[in-house]
Amino acid sequence: MRVLLIEDDPTLGEGLRDYLGSVDVAVHWCQDLALTRVLDLDSFDAWLIDWQLPDGSGLDWLRQLRSQGKDTPALILSARDLLEDRVRGLDGGADDYLVKPFAPEELAARLRALLRRRAGSAQGRVKVGPVQVDVAARAVWLDGEKVALTAREWSVLEALVLRAGRIVRKSELEAMVLGQEAEVSSNALEVHVSGLRRKLGHALIETVRGLGYRLETD
Amino acid sequence: MWVWALIWGLVLSGVAWVSVSGEVNELLDDSLLSAAQGLWRPVSESVAAAESSSLAPVVQTRAATPLAGLPGFPGDPPSYRIVWQLVQHVPHTQLLQASPGAPSEAFFATATAGLSDLPGWRVAGVATARAGEVFYAAQSQAERAEASTETLLALGLAMLPMALLGVWWLRRQVVEELQPLQRLSQRLDQFDPTIGGAWLGPPERAELQPVHHAIEALAHRLAQRMAHERAFSAHAAHALRTPLAGIDAQLAVALQQAPAELRPRLQQVRGAGQRLQRVLVALLGLFRSGAGVHLAPLELAELVRRLPVDGLQVQVREPSRLVADADLVSAALLNLLDNALRHGAKQVWISVPRPALLRVEDDGPGVDAARLAQLNLALRDPQPQPQPLAQAQAQAQAQFPDAGAAAPPGRLLGLGLTLAAFVARAHGGRVNLQAAARGFVVELELAPQRGQHFQDIA
Repeated sequence: MRVLLIEDDPTLGEGLRDYLGSVDVAVHWCQDLALTRVLDLDSFDAWLIDWQLPDGSGLDWLRQLRSQGKDTPALILSARDLLEDRVRGLDGGADDYLVKPFAPEELAARLRALLRRRAGSAQGRVKVGPVQVDVAARAVWLDGEKVALTAREWSVLEALVLRAGRIVRKSELEAMVLGQEAEVSSNALEVHVSGLRRKLGHALIETVRGLGYRLETD
Repeated sequence: MWVWALIWGLVLSGVAWVSVSGEVNELLDDSLLSAAQGLWRPVSESVAAAESSSLAPVVQTRAATPLAGLPGFPGDPPSYRIVWQLVQHVPHTQLLQASPGAPSEAFFATATAGLSDLPGWRVAGVATARAGEVFYAAQSQAERAEASTETLLALGLAMLPMALLGVWWLRRQVVEELQPLQRLSQRLDQFDPTIGGAWLGPPERAELQPVHHAIEALAHRLAQRMAHERAFSAHAAHALRTPLAGIDAQLAVALQQAPAELRPRLQQVRGAGQRLQRVLVALLGLFRSGAGVHLAPLELAELVRRLPVDGLQVQVREPSRLVADADLVSAALLNLLDNALRHGAKQVWISVPRPALLRVEDDGPGVDAARLAQLNLALRDPQPQPQPLAQAQAQAQAQFPDAGAAAPPGRLLGLGLTLAAFVARAHGGRVNLQAAARGFVVELELAPQRGQHFQDIA
């Protein structure tokens, strides 16, 4: 899982980045909105946005993106705790709203819940033919038998499940899964995709030549 | 209104009577004098003629001369409103003639001209042409009183309807004049001064314009102040909440990365930080509610569910509905639950045993009777005046005998109970600590209780 964190407070930002990293959530941390302009926002599984930022309102930023059709799950982090603020945040396009101060454990749990919903399953299990994937539990079964995956294989599978039915560009997948390593090795992604096909079946992941990869759920 | 109209009519009648009664008496006197002046000549001359035609000495006669037929008294049968006497006072007083109804004795023993009062009579005396002879015309006081009474009654009968009409008309005018004030009052009911730019509308009367201006100016100042306070509160909230979240996040990471021997200490620090978070959240809620208490029906179970207190099992018992300010109650509960946790409780029960009474009970070690008494004393007087120790102890002893040799109640309360007391006082109530077989029991009265008086409401 890869998330974008927009938080100006260095203590909180660093703490969240490190904590979420410890629970296998890769965090790209920006301290203001200007830094997000150079990013491929669609490459993130979720956005964690502070409302009050030095160069603008995180909520307004989210509203603008929603008006452009961007539907990446978004969670507002805010010190504003009034009911009217929570309503504004949710009506403004946020999928969840967390009032500061909050425990990072809760943030991680809400992120997982967001992505479960995104994957379309309240129970957290997605079915792809004989394969069942539980995003929250980070587990996968083939014909009822649990299959062990490497961390990278899991990251690829998770990224494709969360974008099930859509073509995910190779570069996007590389950025999500490999991060800095994407520049070092050009075929690392193919290696992990091959590993997944070997363990879970060749029909699992479709290669869309010239575009990317796609996974179709049942 | 009718009673007042009646009273007003009677008052007016009385005033009119006082004004008119003098004139009535004057009129009656004038009539009397006129009668005397008009009657003396024919009566005197008829007596003189009778005397000259008769050789018998003149004796007192009682002439049955009816008033009717005499000059000045035409028409109807005699009513004896005015009686008369012709009296000769020289050489001695002798009643020569009198009208029916006149006394058999002369009115006066000596010649008395002009108006005089005798018991039961008002008498007008006129000297005739004959020496020593006086003609007296008299009216009974009873007759005069009757005339006055009839005049008063006539006045009253005339004044009462006038008074009623006058009162009705005046009331109607006053009510009409007050209508703009009433409509202003209705507009004020719906006027929200906290909305910037709130406007009462144009004044219906020029006299109300200063009132409109004053209220709108006050509303403007209030809205500005509230906007400033909200802005400050939001800024303060952000400035305080974000760093606390950062501290907690960093401690969470440190706990993951620290060596095993360091983790208990880090966990302790994290626990203290989370407690600080709860207190701060409660204080921010209290600060925000400082503008006023917003009463609303609350479902305690839902409210408690949102309170972050780990390590404590909180159970809400029925009945659990309460009418109170949600933010203030949350702040109070947060602190009381935090207190319970700090003092070793594992379980807390929250209930509303009677309307406007919030009860928080825990299974901690509680406090002894003396301490409970001291705390209750401190809750009664949150800002005790400086006083000698001996006096404070004596006061504590008198009010709470179990308190023992108590220290002055000034600083016994911790932040939790102080905040709870503040919340209760904001609702017009107070905090009571109840004795219990186990644990600690705090009751927040969230409305003024009958028969109680509270000196301090923050």
